[in-house]
Amino acid sequence: MEFEPKILGIACNWCTYTGADLAGTTRLQYPQNLRVVRVMCSSRINPSFIFRAFQLGADGVLVGGCHPGDCHYNTGNLYARRRLAVTRKILEFAGIEPGRFRVEWISASEGNKFAEVVTEFTEQVKTLGPQTKFKIEQQPSLEKI
Amino acid sequence: MSRIGVFVCHCGLNIAKTIRVSELAQFASTLPDVVVAKDYKFMCSTPGQEMIASDIKEHKLDRIIVAACSPLMHEQTFRKVIENAGLNKYLVTIVNIREQVSWVTHDVEEGTSKAKALLNGAVYRARLLAPLTSRFIDVSPDVMVIGGGIAGIQAALELANTGKKVYLVEKNSTIGGHMAQFDKTFPTLDCSACILTPKMDAVLQHKNITMMTYCEVTEVKGYVGNFDITVKQKARYVDHDKCNACLACTEKCPGKGVSEWDEGLVKRKAIYIPFPQAVPQKPVIDRDACTFFIKGKCRLCEKVCEQKAIDFEQQDTFSTVKVGAVIVATGYDLMNTKPLVQYGYGKYPGVYSALEVERLFNSAGPTSGKVTLRDGKEPQAIAILHCIGSRDKNNYEHCSRVCCMYSLKFAHLFKEKTSADVYQFYIDMRAPGKGYEEFYNRIIEEDVKFIRGKGARVAESADEPGRMIVEAEDTITGKFIKLPVDMVVLSPAMIPRSDSKDIARLFNLSTDKYGFFMERHPKLAPLSTMSEGIFIAGVCQSPKDIPDTVAQANGAAAEALTIVVKDKMELEATTAMVNPASCCACQNCIRVCPYGAPFFNEQKGVSEINEALCKGCGLCASVCPASAIIARHFTNDQVLAEIEGLMEF
Amino acid sequence: MSQTVIPYLEMSQAIVDAGGEALKKCYQCGTCTGTCPWTPITHFNIRKLIRFGQLGIDGIEEYMWGCSTCKFCVDRCPRGVELIDVVTAIRNVYSGGGMLPQSLRAFVGSLSARGNPWSGDQDKRNDWAKDKYPVYTKDMDYLFFTCCTVCYDPRNIKLAKATAEVLNLAGLNWGIPSVDVNCCGESVRKVGDLELFERLKQNNLNYFKTNNVDKIVTVSPHCLATFKKEYGEDYDVMHLSQLIARLIKEGKLTPKKDFGGLKVTYHDPCYLGRHSGVYDAPRDILKAIPGIDFVEMGRNREQSMCCGGGGGGLWMEKLKGERLSDLRIEEAMATGATVLATSCPYCITMFEDSSRTLNVDEQIKIKDVTELFLESLGVNMDELMAGTSDLNFTCKAD
Repeated sequence: MEFEPKILGIACNWCTYTGADLAGTTRLQYPQNLRVVRVMCSSRINPSFIFRAFQLGADGVLVGGCHPGDCHYNTGNLYARRRLAVTRKILEFAGIEPGRFRVEWISASEGNKFAEVVTEFTEQVKTLGPQTKFKIEQQPSLEKI
Repeated sequence: MSRIGVFVCHCGLNIAKTIRVSELAQFASTLPDVVVAKDYKFMCSTPGQEMIASDIKEHKLDRIIVAACSPLMHEQTFRKVIENAGLNKYLVTIVNIREQVSWVTHDVEEGTSKAKALLNGAVYRARLLAPLTSRFIDVSPDVMVIGGGIAGIQAALELANTGKKVYLVEKNSTIGGHMAQFDKTFPTLDCSACILTPKMDAVLQHKNITMMTYCEVTEVKGYVGNFDITVKQKARYVDHDKCNACLACTEKCPGKGVSEWDEGLVKRKAIYIPFPQAVPQKPVIDRDACTFFIKGKCRLCEKVCEQKAIDFEQQDTFSTVKVGAVIVATGYDLMNTKPLVQYGYGKYPGVYSALEVERLFNSAGPTSGKVTLRDGKEPQAIAILHCIGSRDKNNYEHCSRVCCMYSLKFAHLFKEKTSADVYQFYIDMRAPGKGYEEFYNRIIEEDVKFIRGKGARVAESADEPGRMIVEAEDTITGKFIKLPVDMVVLSPAMIPRSDSKDIARLFNLSTDKYGFFMERHPKLAPLSTMSEGIFIAGVCQSPKDIPDTVAQANGAAAEALTIVVKDKMELEATTAMVNPASCCACQNCIRVCPYGAPFFNEQKGVSEINEALCKGCGLCASVCPASAIIARHFTNDQVLAEIEGLMEF
Repeated sequence: MSQTVIPYLEMSQAIVDAGGEALKKCYQCGTCTGTCPWTPITHFNIRKLIRFGQLGIDGIEEYMWGCSTCKFCVDRCPRGVELIDVVTAIRNVYSGGGMLPQSLRAFVGSLSARGNPWSGDQDKRNDWAKDKYPVYTKDMDYLFFTCCTVCYDPRNIKLAKATAEVLNLAGLNWGIPSVDVNCCGESVRKVGDLELFERLKQNNLNYFKTNNVDKIVTVSPHCLATFKKEYGEDYDVMHLSQLIARLIKEGKLTPKKDFGGLKVTYHDPCYLGRHSGVYDAPRDILKAIPGIDFVEMGRNREQSMCCGGGGGGLWMEKLKGERLSDLRIEEAMATGATVLATSCPYCITMFEDSSRTLNVDEQIKIKDVTELFLESLGVNMDELMAGTSDLNFTCKAD
């Protein structure tokens, strides 16, 4: 059977999440490997979210925010941009292929871009195969939380 | 242990056709802490809402998950439902299985399994949610309207009539907008000035309206209910408090500027009012055309002004006003058709753009309402070319919506004012408004020739100097038409004002790819934006005609009123807080916050957050090295739990 | 005759499947027909062709060979319809059904059997060079990809030689391909034989790979556009005019001979201009030559006229009054120019034919920009051509 990757998406409420909704309203089709977590701003994203996702077996992580300069909170995504750049370096250092992590600026009107990015990224992660470097086989049980 | 109820919506077949909804509900019932799981045709309908409310009571539920459309659509609806049923409204979680699942795949297997993963994530997150208390803030009772065209005028008057104070900001020296340039309006052929100027005057007279002409917004601070907006009053070089509008200065002025009002067809003075019915009736000086500013001497206007109102030293001034809500109605420009070389605009003097023709018809226009070419002759044959730059992938893909109708209006006026043959070159005739089809029929009977084919080229006539040849295919006969004419009218794409990007940035509005402002929801919130308290009306949202613009302006006024009518308003409770026990006093939060919400409590030696200023973006929470800041509703634990749930399936 | 038709959607789908996907986008506004250079002089109607294709109804046969793929309509189309793809797809579907016109059969047959459209023997491909010019080897910088037309057509051999001389004078390390290569396949692709195109392409790609080719100079814009758009590999392809313009700019070649006020106008080949976006390079060369009085025709650059030679047009016979090249010659002469310069072997062939049938070949000379440039470097074109008349070619069947 073909490898179907699990991809975590983290999208800001105002641009990328709305853009993803627009992709839906215009009925654009894209692969269903992506599961999106909504946060208010890309600046809310703590790098630990991304590391944890890889630990939990994510094969790829896609982060989406407003275009730089268009942040709903004025400057949030500028901080996010720097933080995510460092996150990428750490991931590379830790041996995660750079192709498994992607940051995209997708505005609320760019439903087609959202669909294109998801399609492209899913394909890319597929060719990289399952992510095993970070994955912890024995997951802590839910009751621990 | 929490008690979770899961409600899966079919949304008719919107969801049910690609997701096996009963299987999804069945799956939900196997998840931890889920007490009850159901599916229903329309969760947002009254019976659906009642089902949720009664299940909350019957099963003592304390967390609700609704798997339905996007949270941007109905989160508020379901928050109200559970609030009415006695639960804290922040304990509802929406799973977006429509916009982000069933509408983006045809594959039932894929759809169902993705929905399961999303639902699982929501359950994990819901277990960690905490009840939150809403905040209430004072609301400023005033409203600002930006743009003094028909949309802005209408909105300002409606609001002012309810007793609210309105600031009407207009960047030109008069209000009126494009509508004041027109001679007649379709389909009734009302005289534009006759219906507009009384409204302009009403604005001037209204005690609740502060008219701010020749002004631009330069800075916006604050948030819904409490905006602090800085407005630049551009230097007019005329003290309007002293000026008594005698206009003696405009008669004596030797300066020559380009009349924006007449679309550049004629010159105007350097000290001027744009047109005789301008509001206010007081002039401004165009620096670039003024002899004094160019050569350092003249000052004729100053000499004739008995009121001593001329002030060459005047500077731009800035003032700040506080308002509770804003209506943006900045209107449109017409596309510059010069780059479309095939149509010869700017090359052949006989090629006109639509607004120029409006001015030719206007009795207050450059030709006093006579239709003559630039050489003064009356045209014998006229071609009106539709869809120039509109409906065109190479330029603007949207339909500009009013061109078919105003082109018909032009044809009628040409027939009325000249003996010319009039031809319309169109792709499709669009006449969907009230009385529009009837108007179309009327124009057909006036013997206007309709050629179904887009104008392909305007060329010089080889045989008759000064004339042009319009080339197009008549797609009905399949014949190639070469039509000799002496006037070509282009109906160019309507596009947002050239500075609409700046307005978007100031007010945090999203725009589509051409710069039209994005509404919060295309159907159910067409006048709201993603920025709370900012509303849009008129063509700045998308091309539309005068009736639709006026209707939108009234709607936007009502929307703004729902905010400023109250003394206090509720804000999202999803703010950040500091756990003082963990704070390491690094003050990173204070440095990064765009709103100045965090501050340092010297006494306790820790950061604290002013919740009235916090907007809940969560930036501080992620820069806090000690994880002392908790972003309510998006805590680390909650997000991590959701991720865990999503990655399990 | 009955006007009743029933839409035959299977035919429409077959066109879509053959690459005519763009068919669906058209909303029949007629911009294409209004723009098409053929519309005023023939009954070819590109919009109708698309319409018939949308419904799969009769009428396609009447129009399908009229298009010379000049791309004017594509650039103007408000819906972004790739009309050339549709035309190619329609031709593919119909010529697959045995509907290739007689005039194109020899051309397709020759390409299939000999790898060139001119019925020349494959092993005589390099006879024009008479061993005077080097064959490409792995250590060389540039492959000068000789278009079949400059190898076999006596008029265009002049262009091949001129090119070779310029490359030599520039001191470049270059070579022509061995006789193993074949036609780039552009024309046959536009004629709709996608299978044959694929074969020709693969053969050329094999040659490029085995010889480590990475920089290619083409003399024909048709080769240029095809290598860039259809070959799908990352070669550094440039047109000769671009290379020469660069050499002039870098000061490596400086034209000396003064033409003493020779009035020259320039025709933009569709495949160099609209297809490849190269407008300035040829003009830069002409303007660098001393004593050339350069004049533009009314329709130039993006608005340029087609010579009629593209899309298989070179091999099709057109009636007098229905030849674009005739009109273009008249337009050129109206500027007062005595030389019509261009930079495409197809255009040269079309214009040479027209100037003779119009009996104006004494008043206006047809030249490639390269030929003018070489003359200005002090090389006599006639001396260069001496001794080529004995070459034995079979050429365009008249």
